[in-house]
Amino acid sequence: MIASGAFRERLFGAWVEIRENLGRSVLQALGVLLGVASVLGGFSISDSQRKRSDELYVKLGGLDKLNVQPRAAIKDGQPTALQQANLGLRDADATGGEALKADAIQGVSRQRNARSRVVSAYADQDRQISGIGGDFIPANGYGIAQGRGFSNTEMETGAPVVVLGTEAANTFFPKGDALGQSIRIGDVPVTVIGTFEERVFRFRENQGNQFWWRNRIIAVPANLVQRRMNGDAYRRVDRVTFRIPDLNLMSGFADQLQNLLKSNHRLQDDFRLDDVAARVRKRRSQGDVYNIIFMLSGVLALVGGGIVNVNIQMASLKERVREVGVKMAIGASGREIFKGFMTEALLLTALGGFAGLVLGVGFSWIITSSIGIPLYMTPASFVWAYGLAGVFGFVFALYPAWKASRLSPMEALRYE
Amino acid sequence: MKPIIQTEALTKVYGANGTAVHALRGIDFTVSRGEFVALIGPSGSGKSTLMAILGCLDLPTAGTYTLDGHQVQGLAGGELARIRNEKVGFVFQSYNLLPKASIARNVELPMLYAGVGRKERRERAMALLEKVGIADKADKLPGTLSGGQRQRVAVARALANEPALLLADEPTGALDSKTGAEVLDLFRELHQQGNTLLLVTHDPSIAAQAQRRVEIRDGLIAVTEGVA
Ligand SMILES: Nc1ncnc2c1ncn2[C@@H]1O[C@H](COP(=O)(O)OP(=O)(O)OP(=O)(O)O)[C@@H](O)[C@H]1O
Ligand SMILES: [Mg+2]
Repeated sequence: MIASGAFRERLFGAWVEIRENLGRSVLQALGVLLGVASVLGGFSISDSQRKRSDELYVKLGGLDKLNVQPRAAIKDGQPTALQQANLGLRDADATGGEALKADAIQGVSRQRNARSRVVSAYADQDRQISGIGGDFIPANGYGIAQGRGFSNTEMETGAPVVVLGTEAANTFFPKGDALGQSIRIGDVPVTVIGTFEERVFRFRENQGNQFWWRNRIIAVPANLVQRRMNGDAYRRVDRVTFRIPDLNLMSGFADQLQNLLKSNHRLQDDFRLDDVAARVRKRRSQGDVYNIIFMLSGVLALVGGGIVNVNIQMASLKERVREVGVKMAIGASGREIFKGFMTEALLLTALGGFAGLVLGVGFSWIITSSIGIPLYMTPASFVWAYGLAGVFGFVFALYPAWKASRLSPMEALRYE
Repeated sequence: MKPIIQTEALTKVYGANGTAVHALRGIDFTVSRGEFVALIGPSGSGKSTLMAILGCLDLPTAGTYTLDGHQVQGLAGGELARIRNEKVGFVFQSYNLLPKASIARNVELPMLYAGVGRKERRERAMALLEKVGIADKADKLPGTLSGGQRQRVAVARALANEPALLLADEPTGALDSKTGAEVLDLFRELHQQGNTLLLVTHDPSIAAQAQRRVEIRDGLIAVTEGVA
């Protein structure tokens, strides 16, 4: 078979057939084209979105975080009555949590905020103060631009030192000489030991900087806030973050922590756990739903196109009965006729599918660039789109090809 | 000599009971190797039906048919296709060339179905076109040829797999008398080269050139004249 070049001849014959009936062929390829474009375009657009949000989470300091926050709001810097009655989220919760899985946890950071008047030689404003501990800086995607971060001793002793975000540095030291200067937070004089790198993230190119408020950060050691700005006897904190690089351990740890905190908090649910990885997974599975929808619409286009193709093929078979009869008269078997028709249909599918891939790339590019996110396409999307077209092209080609192969040579030759 | 064609009580009925047409009603017919037989008879007498069965395009309703030693009745479609391909060369009144394939491809096609390699196919097709005198048209499409030329292509195609039997159903029916005579000369030449030839015609002057004339009437062999 290979030696006689039968396949090659069939392919050539199919190509001639397609070329000679260009109008009909284009019509037949259209369904495939739209189906492929729709699957590839849909997948690629959602892949691009997903990739972009992955980049967002990397910029936010990674997925391997479990955040714990008090549940009830703090009014005017004072705990609510409910939280006063209970104990609230405390330093002890962070320590206790860490003890649960000491070997899996890579870092624990506590955060204690305050609202305070901040005064420099250039500005005097009411600002949010972030008291930070542990690996807060890397865990939240911050980096030091100038100077340095807090040393362990400064963290522990609650030293009067501050690191400023770019906006804060510009506001309080517009001349750009913040490092080494002194500012007053409330009535505590603190020394600027560093500035953070500017944080910028735009999900879409044409959007504003979604991280702009992160540049307003005024970070001091959490212990400084607790001791001299917004402290209480329980050493309450506003947020505890556990980092667990092995994401498999995360949900088990979250359950344990939930139980521990609940029993420590007199069975009150006055805290909230936020498993970042789980949240992202959930968003992704929502993305998968979109993928299924895209695939479904592609499949519908392919099925619609397939049905149209069966009709066109059956109609064109009428014109070709005689041709089939002649081929049979000179020795073509039904199987050979079948293969001929299948080759034609599959070649058409291949060509239409290829055009569909091109259209799908163009389509994805137009959509993503109009949304303003980078286009990200995976080989899997191409394989899915082309594979589905192939499967449907094959299935819908079977019936007409089978019909043609079953013609009786005599009847076919007599057909007018 | 061992017969190429041997039929016994061959019958063919078209349609079902009420509207049944008895096209053949018991044909006993033998053709020896190398014979040139003309099949004559009035319109509707069953000549084409007989040719179709002899060419394995159709199966008889009853009776037996042996083609070059092969029992044909009861064979499956695929086997019939192989016999058509290997043993029979058909020439039709209306040429029946494939309009979208070049002349050379038309001639190559039976060899393709027989599994002949590409190079040999090409060579043999060219040799055959040479033989029927239209090698210069090899790359043309059938639509660009005259009727006589098309029929020559059909003859070349029929010869492609060196068949045991050449069947021609009114091969000159669509041609004017001059080209018809030329095509007939080609058949005579083929006969002289040893081919077995069965030809349907309405033209007595053509029938006269055959070794033997068999007349069919109402699905039965009526008269045979000439040497058997
Ligand atoms: N497929 C068919 N279905 C029904 N009847 C048929 C079929 N083919 C042929 N017949 C009938 O069988 C009879 C013989 O037909 P056939 O074509 O063999 O005649 P013929 O001798 O070749 O005639 P002509 O000289 O006109 O070609 C005719 O009555 C014809 O109507
Ligand atoms: Mg006839």
